[in-house]
Amino acid sequence: MKINPDFVERLIVRFIKEEFSKLNFETGILGLSGGLDSSVCAFLSVKALGPKNIIGLIMPYKNTFSKDVKDAENIASHLGISSRVIDISPMVDAYYVNYPTKSKILKGNKMARERMSILYDVSARERALILGTSNKTELLLGYGTIHGDMACAINPLGDLYKTQIRQLARHLKIPDKIVKKKPTAGLWSGQTDEGELGLTYTKIDRILYQLVDLKKMKNEVTSSGFPKQDVEKIIKLIKGSEFKRKMPPIPKISHRTVGHDFLYPFDRSK
Amino acid sequence: MKVALAQIRPVLGNIRENFLMHIDYIQRAKKKKADLLVFPELSLTGYTLMDMVEEVALQPHTDPIFKKFKALSQDLSFIVGFVEEREKGLFLNSAAFFSQNKILHIHRKVYLPTYGMFEEMKFFGQGRNFTTFLTPFGKAGMMVCYDFLHLGSNYLLFVGGSELIIVISAAPGRGLSDQETYASSRMWELMGESISHFTQTFVIYCNRVGYEDGKSFAGGSFIFNPGGQLIARSPYVDEDFLVKEIDLEDIRKFRKKRPYRRDDKPEVICEALKRVIENYED
Repeated sequence: MKINPDFVERLIVRFIKEEFSKLNFETGILGLSGGLDSSVCAFLSVKALGPKNIIGLIMPYKNTFSKDVKDAENIASHLGISSRVIDISPMVDAYYVNYPTKSKILKGNKMARERMSILYDVSARERALILGTSNKTELLLGYGTIHGDMACAINPLGDLYKTQIRQLARHLKIPDKIVKKKPTAGLWSGQTDEGELGLTYTKIDRILYQLVDLKKMKNEVTSSGFPKQDVEKIIKLIKGSEFKRKMPPIPKISHRTVGHDFLYPFDRSK
Repeated sequence: MKVALAQIRPVLGNIRENFLMHIDYIQRAKKKKADLLVFPELSLTGYTLMDMVEEVALQPHTDPIFKKFKALSQDLSFIVGFVEEREKGLFLNSAAFFSQNKILHIHRKVYLPTYGMFEEMKFFGQGRNFTTFLTPFGKAGMMVCYDFLHLGSNYLLFVGGSELIIVISAAPGRGLSDQETYASSRMWELMGESISHFTQTFVIYCNRVGYEDGKSFAGGSFIFNPGGQLIARSPYVDEDFLVKEIDLEDIRKFRKKRPYRRDDKPEVICEALKRVIENYED
């Protein structure tokens, strides 16, 4: 699971540069939460495109995460990128006036999609491309809101586990405060990823690495010392979230069908 | 002789732009007084073509681009990777060797990786032969990427008397560690080291760089001498133009030291292979 942060930095910076040039964009935009992933993504994007070409959007709901807003603003000013704070509470609350709910998950998802909607709107106004900040751990567990925080044009950190991103963050000299912060999806106050998942990222990533990268079977992973219930929980999360990693299925009835046998690369004629 | 490796980043699906890139490198190689210039796999088209294969395919003996290449190959030999339409509707992943205003040889990729991230057999027909051919620098054999990762193909070029094994490649990097390189790059070098040692040929490997649909081509093109020693390598991941003088006398030197080629027994291998094949159980 060890990475060479120098090498990984080179790979990802090059990826961002190349994608922007292929897609003919100069400006990148991303949501800044004040957490680890978006901070790392912002640092790498600045290295690839320069601070003048990065816009950070900070989108709090009311004042539930005022400390995180401050951290995000600090990251933006440290990097010298332009940032904007857009409060999403009026839009979210307006909806719930007519359709109230007590479900934290529903509200959290709504907020994530509100942020997505604003990111896409501002990206079109600024002719900017959206940089995603989902990591490999989240993508595999489905720990993200479909069409919410998972929505983006390119996803530079998508093949790095959370713990590897932490390693990269230290190398990038991201303030310790951010690196050591308890990861949270920010869906509600007091939520932490590890609390909600019931496992630490260190444990999760080790198990995922065994299952995914080393392609080990469940019993091979448990017999190498990982608790059965943890491994089973992770497998269940992976299986249950396939829909978040795929385009929706289309019934194939013609000779040539989108998603089945109309097969072109994303980078077609770029 | 002087060997040049163009570790380039072709533009996916854009033959015109790639053609100009080739011309540029051909001129650079000529300026450096190189004798042989090697481009990577599918250098004229890019790799992740999928359904674009038929849009970029060409017929080597009539295509105007190849006519221009032939005309440029009087004083410089070079190898280009392209999609060949061999018969109507039959598309192959091929490598052409241009020299003395001619195409000296075309190798059609035999081993088409179709596993994990690779789906070549879905889009390409397969070649059926590994053979050597005479070049101005001695006998050579060509392979395309995954061809090289098979012992049989290397053995056939060895038996065919190859003195140069030239591999063109579009190998994506994968596998991280604390090293400043991909794990997969080490695999190619290991193969280069072993094959150059046991065939006592120069192994010349040209890989590409750049991203296609997120796949990161790893670069790290290399040359091993006939004694299994790495004598030149391009950087990983970055574009590069490597020019290296090699001494063909090294082949004699290493073959005198260890007579692998003299002592090889292709008849024994051939007969034993036949027996293996005859005794397949299903």
